[in-house]
Amino acid sequence: MNTIEKIWHWAAVGCFVGPFLIMLALFQYFPVYEMLRDSLYDFSLLNLAKRQFVGLENYRAIIDDPDRIQAFYVTFMFAVGVVVTVIPVSFSIALYLNGRLPMRAIVRTVVFLPVVTSVVVIATMFTFLYDPNNGLVNSALGTIGLTRLQFHTNKHQALPAVIAMMVWQQTGFATVLFLSGLQGIPKDLEDAARVDGCSPLQRIRFIVIPLLMRTTVFVVVIMTVFSLQVFAPALVLTGGGPEGTTNFVAYDIYQLAFYLQMPGLASAVSVVFMAVVLAISLIQMRVLRVKETQA
Amino acid sequence: MKRALQIVAGIAVLLVILAIFFAPYAWVVASSFKPQFAIFRDLKPISVATFFPNEPTIANFVHLFENRGIGRALVNSAIVSSCQVIGTLALCSMAAYGLTRIQFKGSNVVFVLVLMTFLLPIESLMVPLYIHVTGLGLADTLVGVFIPWIASPFGLFMLRQAFEEIPRELDEAARIDGAGHYRIFWSIILPNVKTPLATLALVTFLFSWNAFLWPLVILHSPRNHVVQLAIAQSVSIAQLPNWGETFAGATIATVPLIILFLFLQRYFVRGIALTGVKG
Amino acid sequence: MILRLSALALMGTLLASTAFAGERGPPTAECPQGVLTLSLLKPLNNPPQPYTVKMWEERNKCMKLDISEVPFAQLADKIAVLAASGSPPDLVQYDGPYTQSYAAAGILLPLDQYFPPGLKEDITRPTLEEHSFEGKIYSPGTQQTSLALFYNADMLAPLGINPPHELDKVWTWAQAIDAMKKCQKGEGDNVSVWGLAPSRFGAGTPGFVYRDLLFVRSHGDPKAPEDSGLYKAYWGLSRDGRTATGWINSPESIEGAQFFSSMFNVHKITPKAGIPNAFQDRKACFTIDVSYFVSGLTNNNPGFKWGVTPLPYVRSPVVHTGSLTIGVFAKSKHPAEAAKFAIDVSTGEYAEEYIRRSRGIPVLKSLAAKLDEFKQYPLNIFVEQIDRYGHPRPPSPNFAQYDKIVTDALRDIAYGSDPKTRLDQAARQAQPILRRN
Repeated sequence: MNTIEKIWHWAAVGCFVGPFLIMLALFQYFPVYEMLRDSLYDFSLLNLAKRQFVGLENYRAIIDDPDRIQAFYVTFMFAVGVVVTVIPVSFSIALYLNGRLPMRAIVRTVVFLPVVTSVVVIATMFTFLYDPNNGLVNSALGTIGLTRLQFHTNKHQALPAVIAMMVWQQTGFATVLFLSGLQGIPKDLEDAARVDGCSPLQRIRFIVIPLLMRTTVFVVVIMTVFSLQVFAPALVLTGGGPEGTTNFVAYDIYQLAFYLQMPGLASAVSVVFMAVVLAISLIQMRVLRVKETQA
Repeated sequence: MKRALQIVAGIAVLLVILAIFFAPYAWVVASSFKPQFAIFRDLKPISVATFFPNEPTIANFVHLFENRGIGRALVNSAIVSSCQVIGTLALCSMAAYGLTRIQFKGSNVVFVLVLMTFLLPIESLMVPLYIHVTGLGLADTLVGVFIPWIASPFGLFMLRQAFEEIPRELDEAARIDGAGHYRIFWSIILPNVKTPLATLALVTFLFSWNAFLWPLVILHSPRNHVVQLAIAQSVSIAQLPNWGETFAGATIATVPLIILFLFLQRYFVRGIALTGVKG
Repeated sequence: MILRLSALALMGTLLASTAFAGERGPPTAECPQGVLTLSLLKPLNNPPQPYTVKMWEERNKCMKLDISEVPFAQLADKIAVLAASGSPPDLVQYDGPYTQSYAAAGILLPLDQYFPPGLKEDITRPTLEEHSFEGKIYSPGTQQTSLALFYNADMLAPLGINPPHELDKVWTWAQAIDAMKKCQKGEGDNVSVWGLAPSRFGAGTPGFVYRDLLFVRSHGDPKAPEDSGLYKAYWGLSRDGRTATGWINSPESIEGAQFFSSMFNVHKITPKAGIPNAFQDRKACFTIDVSYFVSGLTNNNPGFKWGVTPLPYVRSPVVHTGSLTIGVFAKSKHPAEAAKFAIDVSTGEYAEEYIRRSRGIPVLKSLAAKLDEFKQYPLNIFVEQIDRYGHPRPPSPNFAQYDKIVTDALRDIAYGSDPKTRLDQAARQAQPILRRN
């Protein structure tokens, strides 16, 4: 290409890709840079001018402080709990929906409703559902004759309660993914297996599951990333407690910055958090891709 | 016999699924038509009354519209979400075109860089983004609510895949006819990706309407509030949240999306499936 | 192309429509310098009330107020983000205990230089204490209040329980809990009437420092030696606001937290989750609430006879003072005018009108002496409590953080956490924060 053509070429690139990249740089990359820089300072949001350089002190604070470590641990446990529960539940529902039973469209709609509802509305709904005195869940349990639960007022029940809430919300999403995966399985494979005398369970084990590996990988990675970023339930329902058992990292960051006036520490936690999420996603994709090619 | 058992089991499972996923909505919506004492009264024990108001009243909704400015909040949400959809479609479609149709060095690097931002949790960016957007003079404005998100990595990813599907022969034909990039983009590519564009528009609208944390941080005045903020703040120091009002607020915030979803289900579902299966 | 242009146009309109007010208008005949608009941030349903603002605008023709309101729960956050932004409002109605935080951060303007003579002496002691920092006064104060124990007389009379109305006969908490137990109906999962209503502050979860720290402080003693656990439990925080260790978790504080926990987990006279309107709906015999609740019950008759008894104590009676008050942002471009508004609406006829309508307790001694209501039952209880043993929530330049940490700790203790472990953790968390600048 001669020079004029080159200029035109790069102008075209600039015109098309430019606006996107500029906005991305402005609103994603620049804040990331500022976050990295802020993590080296100690300051208060009330008075930005009064900042003090502290180097890696904030990072040392993260390692030394059991509350920060607990936040990471709790978030990790939450993600594991959600993924481990959502996959089998949504897979089963997808299998069910793939069959020939009536009212499939209604079930698919109903299962998907929580996905289009905002996390805030859901967290608010569950605040009332889980109310120990007047909530629907305890009323239902009481009516059937089971003991009532304490949910977010009990340090052993709070995290499972929030996991249940997230599973409730995300199942529809995973179900739809599995469903389209199932519908992609060639009919003749299934028919051949049936003719050969395989039971439904064997069919599932040897045909369906291996062929759905790719979808499963996708679901696992997406669910993990979403779950690690959980925030609204802590803000609306639990306040991070009791005893920090639901103090998810995203909420910890928010609290540190806006309530405890330590945005420098919050930025340091953010940097570490980003690194952890990135690492987990990459590891997952690597490990599960290997499994996928094996299948 | 076995068949009958299968059907019964099937229906039982169906009812359980419906109960678990639908009952909370039914309770919340029904309760938004009840005065607070009725909500409590109808809980012990659970009965039909829990899910169907005996004497429905719209007092909660009226109060929200009159005293809490929900009407204004709905309008604000509509404006913000529409603008975010327009912005996202514009930016992402052009960028996707640039990445797939204009061969330039480094397009893959750009794509990976963009994809990495997908993994950034919003909460981490909250403080610097807040200081940053305020510095641009966009604090407490509707523009400030949507503008950081229109360069959407998800949108770019989705449209890039859709664009790759379109055969290059169409481009070649048009180029022979003398069309430049802009022409090809507008007349050849865009008409062929109507479905992915519609899906992206819907998904963007969904995320924008439901966004909570960023609007919470960047908006101050009640007259600028979007609907998710307006319903989350029905608490004053003088009283605990009124259950009926809070439920009415949740209903108002969710109904537009549910209606949208019911009519356009296949776009939602197809779009999500598209991204998933291609993985 | 058309899409893009219309998007740009939309953005432009949006930007223009949401621009901030707060400046001088063009000169007019009446106001040769133009009408000055002062901006004010306040929480919903709180002073300055519309009638106050209207009155002031009428008497100050060349000035107007542009008011932004936020729900109270968001007030502190909004102030923090506005202070960080380039253009905060001129005036702000904020929660008194945060005075030191805001003053230390330099975002509030000291107002004593604008005080008319005699005003400083007229302000009651706890109010002056709360709104001062390093010798300067940042707000004259709008109102005062304290907490007392309200009771449902119709429920208690048949049981022969008559709570005292005089401060000299105030109940101990042992007596109060005894009465609550007798009055409570139902057990376990089926309580129909609770002894004590759940806290209605915040989101209804237990722990709110304004109410629940009093259980802890009451186990202390202000007259004990200054290095004793008893003294430290009473104050909750070192007097300079910089040390929590040994104060919030002194042995007597832990005792107090143990007592607090027992109300939920041993005596079980109060629930762990909020119940809206519990007292008015006859779901609780007693409730702890502020003096405004008297207005609330008088204006909306709940349908039963009710009464007020002074807040019970364990070793030393104590109540928290402190309420919303008005201040001027340091970055205001019109400090003198803003200060005039702040001082005007807190004194003279404005204050009188506000107090008459709201039944908040006046901060001006002259006003309190003038109004008979405050010398009679039930409002006299609140006034006398403030006079005798009213103290602000533990003052500190980092009070907001202390507030959050201790509230969370008390909440967990109500839910069943071990008081010593949890309070030790709170002290550990608060200590580095309190030591900053």
